[in-house]
Amino acid sequence: MSVTKMVYPLYQLGNPQLRIFRPNWFLTLVRPGKEQPPDTVQFRIPMDMTKYDVKNYLEKIYNVPVGVVRTRIQFGSNKKRNHLNQRVKKPDYKVAYVQLAQSQTFTFPDIFPEKGRTPKEGSMEEMQEKFMEDEKQRQKPDPRRGGVTEWFGL
Amino acid sequence: MASSSSLGRVLTLCKRFQSVFRISPAISVQHCAVNLKRCQNNLLSEKSFLIASSWITPISFVGQHRALHTTVSRRGLEEFFDQPENWGEPNVKSGAPWTAKQLRTKSNEDLHKLWYVLLKERNMLLTLAQEAKRQSLQMPSPERMKKIERSMVRLDTVVRERETALRLLQTGQEKGRPGDWRRNVFGYEYWYRFKEYTIPWYMNKRHERKKFYTPHFVQPHIRLRIERFLRERARKVNLKRKTLAKLKERFPQMKLPSS
Repeated sequence: MSVTKMVYPLYQLGNPQLRIFRPNWFLTLVRPGKEQPPDTVQFRIPMDMTKYDVKNYLEKIYNVPVGVVRTRIQFGSNKKRNHLNQRVKKPDYKVAYVQLAQSQTFTFPDIFPEKGRTPKEGSMEEMQEKFMEDEKQRQKPDPRRGGVTEWFGL
Repeated sequence: MASSSSLGRVLTLCKRFQSVFRISPAISVQHCAVNLKRCQNNLLSEKSFLIASSWITPISFVGQHRALHTTVSRRGLEEFFDQPENWGEPNVKSGAPWTAKQLRTKSNEDLHKLWYVLLKERNMLLTLAQEAKRQSLQMPSPERMKKIERSMVRLDTVVRERETALRLLQTGQEKGRPGDWRRNVFGYEYWYRFKEYTIPWYMNKRHERKKFYTPHFVQPHIRLRIERFLRERARKVNLKRKTLAKLKERFPQMKLPSS
């Protein structure tokens, strides 16, 4: 049913509802730039998706209770210029603000937590870390001078 | 290398199917690791998972005595992110992409389910990539994106192949969308694909202005195009002949290629 380019059949009053199998749409969950209410989830969606499409997508595929969906199109700037003075276009994208039903809340999690990794003995990473530490030690000023810079004579 | 990658793929796919079929993680992963081949063959068939988990989850026998799984995943928005163990890791292991040959062995239901598995994985990777860009950090194992993309393209190709085969057998039509060979204003013949309209073509005022013939005054331009094409072809042939002549002069014992 669904291929790389979606061809929509003509709709006239009384036609059966359009069913899409194997949708070719991919959503990106993004961290909101501005503070959003706790039940709002922000997505970047393809330009040809509608609010109803987003609602059905999340309900059917992800089993998420969706209340309301609001969309807007973000214009990607055409102002920046490259080394040939040609304008470089940043692509436009559509943003969907999805409010969850059944008073559910969602906070964007921290996907890149700091993990203290100790490199195993005899490995490259261990040698590199040791080298970097030695370099830093060499760059530090003499601790006996008590924080006074090298510029002063004594 | 191949075995480890296939094991990795089986494990990752097993993990993905945990989320869909709600099997207790430790047992199914071990089961997959032990019976690698069987997992690979019966990866998408419900039976093998049910044999493993029949004493874990409730089953019901419907119709032809085939055990039916009744639990549904309730993960929701968690599926936009990787498993919490993988957060912050610099590398995440993933297996090889699906090849068209492997996909052709799968049934239609299996391909349909696989499409959604790949779709969810792709959404997860897109979320991860965007968040990494936001935090100015590197995305762990970005090669996964290409693997998923290629797998999905191959899946689509296989499904389309099956659709065309079925259509040819049932109706004798090669293409699903009707079309015709038409000539455009510039003298080119192209495959014009029909579009659905509410009114017939002779009532469509805008469609009347579109010309499906080449006017008489375009003939000189077509002639110039033909001349240019012939000149280019002659140039290529001459160049080949001259290079061979030069080589023959330099290396007299050389054997000329047959082409």
